[in-house]
Amino acid sequence: MSPDQIGDLVQLALIGLAAGFLAGLLGIGGGVLMVPAMVLLLGFDQHVAQGTSLMVVIPAALTGSYTHHRNGRLFLRDAAILAAGGVIGAVIGAVFALSIDDDILRRLFAGFLLVIAVRMLLPKGLFRRESKG
Amino acid sequence: MLSGLFGVGGGIVMVPAMVLLLAFGQARAQATSLAAIVPIAAVGALIFGRADSVDLVAALLLAAGSLLGVQAGARLMHRLSDERLSLIFGIFLVIVALTMLLA
Repeated sequence: MSPDQIGDLVQLALIGLAAGFLAGLLGIGGGVLMVPAMVLLLGFDQHVAQGTSLMVVIPAALTGSYTHHRNGRLFLRDAAILAAGGVIGAVIGAVFALSIDDDILRRLFAGFLLVIAVRMLLPKGLFRRESKG
Repeated sequence: MLSGLFGVGGGIVMVPAMVLLLAFGQARAQATSLAAIVPIAAVGALIFGRADSVDLVAALLLAAGSLLGVQAGARLMHRLSDERLSLIFGIFLVIVALTMLLA
């Protein structure tokens, strides 16, 4: 195995470590970090990066959820309802993604995230309802 | 839906939706989101896997790192207040949005 290959292997493990940390801390999958990292740093094909990322997310989300469950923060009924909608949405999304221009889609999504970010960063009471647990 | 679109888990949308629309606490929303991601990612991986778009060697290495990372992140989450977590999540969204706009 060449030093170059070993470097790639180490990079993959480190990308996984960072993505997993975000997953546990923020409740996201980590694909938002893994996919660009694989494509930009390691030259993966976009589709392979996405497929591989989804595969990695499964064990990470499973073990992270177990930790949250032990800490009493996880409500399985809510998660099941959310997942049911999410699975249907994932299939619709995959089909829809193929029919729309990539650049427009990316900008729309980025703008949407900025709006959400502003609302989350604003102090409570301005727009947000009081949270319940 | 966004999960299929962008090849991400969807938590980036599910978490703010639960916090802003359903008034969940930040930690509760994040824990619920992570659990919902398991079956969503499984369906996605199945579709990509059938199209031979999964690199199993890379997946194993990434998974090894991510299993360590997810435990560290999940434990840290339980030590932070909802306010602090919301702030971190909001900053994270801004970074992701700017990266997407500039890419």
